[in-house]
Amino acid sequence: MAKQAHRLTVNGREHDVYAEPSRSLLEVVRDELRLTGSKEGCGTGDCGACTMLVDGRVVTSCLVLWPEAEGREVRTIEGLAEGSALHPLQRAFVEHGAVQCGFCIPGMILAGVATLERTPHATREQIRDGIAGNLCRCTGYQKIVDAIESVAHASSNGEER
Amino acid sequence: MTTVEKPGAADPTTGRARYAAVGERQPRLEGVQKTTGRSVYAADVQLPGMLHARLVLSPHPHARITTLDASAALAHEGVVAVITADDLGRAARDGSNPARGASNRADALLADREAVFAGQPVAVVLGESYSAAEEGADLLNVEYEELPAVLDMEAAMEPDSPLARSPVSDIDHTEEDAHVTIDVKSEEAEGRPTNIASHVSFERGDLDAGFEQADLVVERSYRAALVHQGYIEPHATVADYDPASGDVSVWTSTQGQFHVRDTLMRLFKLPETKLRVIGCELGGGFGGKMIQSATIATACALLAERPVKLVFTRREDLLAATPTPGSVVRLKSGITKDGDVTALQATVIYDAGAFPGAPAAVGSLLISSFYRWPNLRTDGYEVLTNHVSVGAIRAPGIHNITHAMEQQMDEMARGVGLDPAEVRLRNAVRTGDPMASGKPFPAIGMVETIEAAAAHPIWQEREQARTRSTETTKVGVGLAVSGWLGGLQPASAELMLNSDGTVNAVVGAMDISGVNTSFAQIVAEELAIPVERVSVTTGDTRTAPYAGISAGSKTTITMGRALREAAIDMRQQMFSVAADQLEANAQDMELAEGEVRVAGSPEKALPFRRLASITTGFGSLYTPIVGKGAISARVQAPGFTAQLAELEVDTVSGNVTLKRWAIAQDAGYAINPLSVEGQMEGGTGMGIGIGLSEEYLFDEGGHLRNAGLLDYRMPTAADTPDIESLIVEVPSEEGPYGARGVGEPSITAGPAAIANAIYDALGVRVTEMPATPERILRALGRIAD
Amino acid sequence: MRHFDYARPASLAEAMEALRERGEGARPLGGGTDLLVQVKEGHRRPSALISLADVPELAGVHVDASGELRVGARATMQEIGDDATAQQRFSALADGASVVGSYQTRNMATIGGNVCNAAPSADTSPPLVVLGALAHVAGVNGERELPVQELWSGPGQTTLEPGEIVTSFVLPAPPAGAGSHYARHTPRKIMDIAVVGVASYVELDAGGVVQAARIALGAVAPTVVRAPQAEQALVGRALTEEAAAEAGRVAAGEARPISDVRGSASFRRYLVETMTRASVLRAAERARG
Repeated sequence: MAKQAHRLTVNGREHDVYAEPSRSLLEVVRDELRLTGSKEGCGTGDCGACTMLVDGRVVTSCLVLWPEAEGREVRTIEGLAEGSALHPLQRAFVEHGAVQCGFCIPGMILAGVATLERTPHATREQIRDGIAGNLCRCTGYQKIVDAIESVAHASSNGEER
Repeated sequence: MTTVEKPGAADPTTGRARYAAVGERQPRLEGVQKTTGRSVYAADVQLPGMLHARLVLSPHPHARITTLDASAALAHEGVVAVITADDLGRAARDGSNPARGASNRADALLADREAVFAGQPVAVVLGESYSAAEEGADLLNVEYEELPAVLDMEAAMEPDSPLARSPVSDIDHTEEDAHVTIDVKSEEAEGRPTNIASHVSFERGDLDAGFEQADLVVERSYRAALVHQGYIEPHATVADYDPASGDVSVWTSTQGQFHVRDTLMRLFKLPETKLRVIGCELGGGFGGKMIQSATIATACALLAERPVKLVFTRREDLLAATPTPGSVVRLKSGITKDGDVTALQATVIYDAGAFPGAPAAVGSLLISSFYRWPNLRTDGYEVLTNHVSVGAIRAPGIHNITHAMEQQMDEMARGVGLDPAEVRLRNAVRTGDPMASGKPFPAIGMVETIEAAAAHPIWQEREQARTRSTETTKVGVGLAVSGWLGGLQPASAELMLNSDGTVNAVVGAMDISGVNTSFAQIVAEELAIPVERVSVTTGDTRTAPYAGISAGSKTTITMGRALREAAIDMRQQMFSVAADQLEANAQDMELAEGEVRVAGSPEKALPFRRLASITTGFGSLYTPIVGKGAISARVQAPGFTAQLAELEVDTVSGNVTLKRWAIAQDAGYAINPLSVEGQMEGGTGMGIGIGLSEEYLFDEGGHLRNAGLLDYRMPTAADTPDIESLIVEVPSEEGPYGARGVGEPSITAGPAAIANAIYDALGVRVTEMPATPERILRALGRIAD
Repeated sequence: MRHFDYARPASLAEAMEALRERGEGARPLGGGTDLLVQVKEGHRRPSALISLADVPELAGVHVDASGELRVGARATMQEIGDDATAQQRFSALADGASVVGSYQTRNMATIGGNVCNAAPSADTSPPLVVLGALAHVAGVNGERELPVQELWSGPGQTTLEPGEIVTSFVLPAPPAGAGSHYARHTPRKIMDIAVVGVASYVELDAGGVVQAARIALGAVAPTVVRAPQAEQALVGRALTEEAAAEAGRVAAGEARPISDVRGSASFRRYLVETMTRASVLRAAERARG
């Protein structure tokens, strides 16, 4: 079946991709762009490990055909830190012990980013709601919620995020 | 760096042993890489010319394969090969076919003429692309003749039951042994073949007399569903074979890279000098990540003579990996009105699925070992059926037996009008008490752990909590206690002093729970340097010293000791060189601030950096400083847990909402409290899922109906309450600094705590796990049938 | 995924043409959250997917001067759930859209996809039924409109002709004194599929007497179904606890659930009874404002 050419904008960089249109955004970003931070945990949109931000909104990239992302801003975990400066959520996840096996973490952090964009001073309940599409099996979510909450508190205390 | 007068001296305020590096909350060494997406997991590996493998699974629980026609698949564009059991003999160097007549799951890579569970891999299609392999798999023509399927573990035990599969021999207990060391060997079936793969029993005292003495005898049976470990990373392997050199390299997701190496060597007769297994960053294992993808992918690479990537889909992982068994537990137990337990009769049956490997021995040992039963009789059975074959999970088999025993304890205590926590304390085993096998417990902290939970506000305030109940929302609090013996395995580690005075450690154990961070703390402690100056690398099977499977809550207590020994060895070498250089006695040396100093004369010192250069420079008279540690472990460090659940049951919908949760657990000594809490919280989360929502749902024909994460319901963040961790520290005899394994106990007691809280709320027992809304409503008699 | 062709037309006309050109194997693609799962699992083998992402005619949630709500087929669950008009005047629809999956799912899933996937458990379907939605359908022979429930012929099956696309759902303005509600039963709080879903709509007169009632049940029959006898049991009387309980009992008798992986038939029947009772009371509460 014929391949197609489309331009993807991922983490601010443009990529001209030529591939079968029947592949997922996740697969193309991982296998063609070699950005393997996004993970496939289920392939059916039920675990959230493949979460990316498309035009600022969380999606499960395993259920997005890659040509659908043309003309949109795709952000993956690799695009979150600025050089050596980690995003506050990345730092908070490490410091709070929210990272164990790490497989869910890229998607989880992006879900956290979206949660705090929506509700900068999110309560623990709002945080739990915001990350409910992202399964984690290692942490019981305790330290993940702690980490996101610490950033929510920092922002409500007027500190720079 | 904190300096303390004497490492290990008790802190005057907390009473806890104080050290400089161990005992501190230490964020993970590899945490940053995991938050930026830089860590490499097996599925991230991509090699030039790599083929993609797709599995073809048996749709039937028991069937003879009558036709396997690959011609249409092979004709499809992009399909490179179709591999079946018949081809495996060409993969092994000596032409032997590991799958032929295989008794064990690891050997039975592909169904050999007979499929014994629905989901068993029957063939592999290799394609130039994933989609080509997928389309090829659709085109494979497999025809089956269905055979009678054995689906009910109790019926399977009947003498006239059909057999789930051909008789077995050479049962492989690697997975159980990896998790627990017990001096009990089960009898394997003898004589006429049956579905009972193994049977173990324990006896003590006079059962009839024991029941005679009781004021209350409770008799109940309990069921637990087959559940999946639920790691988020599916099984994945990239295997490469270079026919010219004979080198085989395997990047895989496993808890035990040396176990994978040894198994591949055994199956394919590969010399270990040609075999390199690289255990990648592991996306969760929990007992379920051993070998399933590595054997198949390696066979494919050997046959195709090209690199092959095999990543299970989630559906395949649920259908064809090794989940953990369902069970039936029948209990009869007696108690006096004073709260003394008098007798226990227990039958524990695990559904092993199509290959042996269920934890019948340890399950039946531990169900009768945590309380001081003067009289007991326990029988444990491992029964073969045509369900998916099972593997381990955190404390394999123990959430099942705890769900039964702890409901039984709750019911007995309530039945004689006593506080359930008091009754447990009164009967709990202490250090030196015999297990059901007669072997004495080493140092344990069951009593201290129960006391910690009983003092917690959730338990203390349970009467007030119940007053919040309304007509349709009932509040309850439940307590449950359990534990795990843990495994033992020798361990070895190496340390090297770097030219900048830092230290590199190399281990072969997979880091599944933050152990590398704890290892760095141990090395830093023993060398009196900051943790940041230690790196810990998990080498591969060619570069790292031998390590066992990371399982059985044993990695920290065994490998941690090896690292401590290695650090002490390194210290001695440094002392010896420094003594020579500083013209002092080696016995008078001490370590401080990255220097070797003469005690009492801090100006006479040699920095680590200098030591490194004088031991590695041209013409050096000294040998390089390389610390080695190798230990064997003899004494287990069992860990106990007591968990408290406070919950609300909506009596209209049957939904349970967890409100508060506390877990007390004996960590012996928490080398890294941050990761100890992480293990406690994570195990709790799994226990919550197993207690409330997770189960394999089969139809009457033995087909799994919920092979996806929408209907195999693991708890989300919204289903999980805040979890409060209470670390109890009763030092173990053999773990470093008194540490105990902490990975496994945390899963064991949660489901039972939930069941007891539901009883507290509703006054009815839900004896089948998970306690779904439908089961709760049925127990309440709300659903008419 | 198994290969298929793909096109992303920029207008409804182009989309119709793309479907026509590629014949029967072509399917429109909304958010993909159901369709791509079915493709991955081999339950559907489309030869081409025609993305509706850029078709402007299908976008948005609009309310006109008369108070009628027009929901474009590619409006996402999140858009609908967040829409103030939907929340206030078409509450059942906002309820349904807000409980679908996770944020990820809701940012992707479209109402056209949710309805045309024809799952009896779809969370926006019972609300659309009780709110009297008309589906607007574009096809080679022009446009047609039909009551939304006439779109479904069985689980996963619609009455759409090849080449037809649902463009929007039009919901008439509810009169004063109307209220609606949707709830579902799931074992998990979020990220789940309805074991049973119940939507209800009531119109009360000034005295609180029910003038009209509609009840739709999800996941208890091959398609979403109305419970006409239960509706009838409410009309002409005050919506008291007793009336609601009676409606629940009647609805349970009307439901024809099956036993499956998500629940037994008797459990589902029980849920229909208790959830209908609760839902009509909640709708009445909203009707009273």
